[in-house]
Amino acid sequence: MLLFLLTTLFVDIYPVNENTEDIFNLGIVAYENKEYDESLKYFLRLENEDIINADLFYNIGSSYFRMGNLGKSILYYKKALKIKANHKSAGRDLEFVLSLTQDKQLDNKEDLFTQIWNKVFSQIDINLLAIILFLLFFIIVFLLNFILLKYQQRDRSIPLFFLSIFIIFFLLTCFFSYLKWKDYQNINEAVLLSQSAIGYSGPDQGFTRVFTIHEGMVFSVEKKEDNWSLIKLPNGLGGWIKTDQFETIDFR
Amino acid sequence: MLIKPGSVNIGKFMNKICILVLFLLVIFPLVAEIQIESYVNKTNIGIQDIIQLTIEVKGEKLYGLKSPEINLPGFRKLGSSTSSGSSMSIMNGKMVRSETKSYIYNISPLKVGKLIIPPSTVKINKDSYTTKPIKITVKENSTSPPETEKQTENNLGRNSTKVNNLFLEIEISKNDYYLNEPIKIDYTLFSRFDIANISYSNEPSFNNFWKEDIFTANSYNFRKVNLNGLIFESMLMRSIALFPSKTGNLQIPSIELIVDVRTQARSFFDRGSTKRSVIKSKPVIVNVKPLPEKGKPAGFSGAVGDFTLTSNISTAELKVGESFTYTLEIRGNGNLNQFDPPVLPEIQHLRFFEPEISTEISDNMISGKKIIKYLVIAQEKGVFNIPSLQFSYFDPILKKYNTKKTKTYTLNIAEGDLTFIPTGISQSKVVLEGRDIGFVLTGIDIKSHSLIFSSFYYWLCWIILLFSFPLVWFYRREQTRLIEDYDYNRMKQANKILRKYMRQATIEAKRQNIDFYTSVQRGLSNFLADKLKQRRGSETDEVISLMYRKNVDENIIQKINNIFSRCDQVRFMPGGSDTDRIQADYDLLKEILSDISRIKV
Repeated sequence: MLLFLLTTLFVDIYPVNENTEDIFNLGIVAYENKEYDESLKYFLRLENEDIINADLFYNIGSSYFRMGNLGKSILYYKKALKIKANHKSAGRDLEFVLSLTQDKQLDNKEDLFTQIWNKVFSQIDINLLAIILFLLFFIIVFLLNFILLKYQQRDRSIPLFFLSIFIIFFLLTCFFSYLKWKDYQNINEAVLLSQSAIGYSGPDQGFTRVFTIHEGMVFSVEKKEDNWSLIKLPNGLGGWIKTDQFETIDFR
Repeated sequence: MLIKPGSVNIGKFMNKICILVLFLLVIFPLVAEIQIESYVNKTNIGIQDIIQLTIEVKGEKLYGLKSPEINLPGFRKLGSSTSSGSSMSIMNGKMVRSETKSYIYNISPLKVGKLIIPPSTVKINKDSYTTKPIKITVKENSTSPPETEKQTENNLGRNSTKVNNLFLEIEISKNDYYLNEPIKIDYTLFSRFDIANISYSNEPSFNNFWKEDIFTANSYNFRKVNLNGLIFESMLMRSIALFPSKTGNLQIPSIELIVDVRTQARSFFDRGSTKRSVIKSKPVIVNVKPLPEKGKPAGFSGAVGDFTLTSNISTAELKVGESFTYTLEIRGNGNLNQFDPPVLPEIQHLRFFEPEISTEISDNMISGKKIIKYLVIAQEKGVFNIPSLQFSYFDPILKKYNTKKTKTYTLNIAEGDLTFIPTGISQSKVVLEGRDIGFVLTGIDIKSHSLIFSSFYYWLCWIILLFSFPLVWFYRREQTRLIEDYDYNRMKQANKILRKYMRQATIEAKRQNIDFYTSVQRGLSNFLADKLKQRRGSETDEVISLMYRKNVDENIIQKINNIFSRCDQVRFMPGGSDTDRIQADYDLLKEILSDISRIKV
């Protein structure tokens, strides 16, 4: 209840015009009729109206998948997950679509701790963190004031003990939120959209070919230079590919 | 104190009952059983040997026990002694007390040959108890060995004519059996030694038998047994049930026990040691007869024993798709584990599931019951018969075959509500047939996502919370000052007091009440005293002079002075109560108050 109130309080409410909903429903109807290009058109129109919504992105991803565009569908599933880290459908379908891509995802073998960390990290939503952080702050302020007022002459060890526990939690949540925030702000992650791309050791086709990657590969962009970008594959391999071959996972 | 005659009578009656109950309680133990036993320490002796005859009387209360009268022809009495003891034990939650009295006689034979110690009689009150006679064999030369060693060695020779002091006896009910008829065998250990340890030797192979273990002793549980006048400690070691699977003369193999016997200490420094001996039960041969061919029923499946057959059906009226259970129970003594139960034939339109067969056998491994449960589902409507089932067995006691039959059941199956009839028994797992992405999400609230962290209100809340610190700090400082600074507190209080009295004055002014002046004077003077940090109830003159000293505006002082004198005038001068002037004075008061709020002291 409290969470709900806080969420409604903090989340800026943008006016949603009726038109938006109609367009969305038109998209769904088209999808139901298997007119995927039509439905995609509606969904993309909404995206162009600066609507940032995980479910919308999920639907765009699904439409792209139906049209056989793996790269775009991965891109949009990734976008959906970026907005809502615990989006169930997007998480499941992304895994499935990734399994259809030609390249095996080059994730490094992770130890158990990293796996658990990633799991927890991906499950927690940034907005939830914000609310938890605020609640903790509220408790700490309350406790501090309480101690100032009521424990002037009395033994303060018990309230101080609780205070320190909450402060520890608060700091941990701060740290976690910072990481999440950074992750959210990271606009360097990108998905390869072209059928395949060749990575060169320099920003020109004259350099040595380092690797070939295929549609749907997820990597990070290190540097952009004219038409060429230096990318880094998940396994650490770096190379230059043409900028128009990929799109970053960014919705701003 | 008066006592009614009736109550005395009741009291006497109660006393009588109490006495009767007490009497019964005393009498009861006397009625309890008395055990009497006589035994000797050895029955094979030489002419010079001395034997010890013990007559032991045991009972809950040996009240009125007289010494036994013993008459021993052919023996010489060498001396006698008595010993007694009592013990308490709790049996079934009841305290049981038992006393033992032993009369021990040392006797020696007078002649060689077979002698008999005749029965002796012991009298307790008016009851008399008689012991059993004991046979003694007396030889020319002494058989009395330096005990232990020699005798334990002797025990190894089974057919020794001497009495064994340690042996394993096999008990078997009869020698003739039919094929598959259960043979119950008990192995009992008899010993006259102090046994330190018993262990089983290797298990022999019971060829030609199906063996079921009934009991294996795993703790010492010795019982005193009088065997031909000698006291033995006996213990049931094992019980087994054997079901012969072959005909002819079959040998039941002997089992072996390894027994460690504690030898007696010969001197103070000798603690005694243990001696190991291996004892074997006697091999027993049983004659196993084949089951007679004559009168052998057609469906005979090998059951031997005595059985009853019952059947049961959970319901006879049901609808299509519903199920019922058909239960068959075979109960009795015999080889329950070795035969196949009768099988229900398939009936069209009834679906029989594999029967659930459970066999419960009691601890003696011979009696028990076998329950066969069929789950049946009705598949079509109509009337069906479940036929009678036959079960045949051979009764070894009556030496003939017996056939038992079950009832025939008629089923009425009505039209059911269920159209789907399950055809498979086991449920199938959900198999993944293909993978695909999920369907688009419909009916969602298409609200644009925004980060709480980038929301203005969110951080506003943080700032508001932060502002609570200075507020609380200020409040706390104020509280501390109120507590610590008395004058400050008074100053703070002054306004409150003034407000209180002035409210009263306003009310009274409206009512044109003369009490108006009282309120005004009290309120104003207290307020001024607090404000000037003076004692309350100070004279008005003092207050006014103080105000002069503090450089308060003369105009105001004049006004205050005026109102004070008006008050005095009204309160103390008779006839000064001019209600008409109250309104004018009230206006003056208001003027003063607005002035006072401006002055700083």
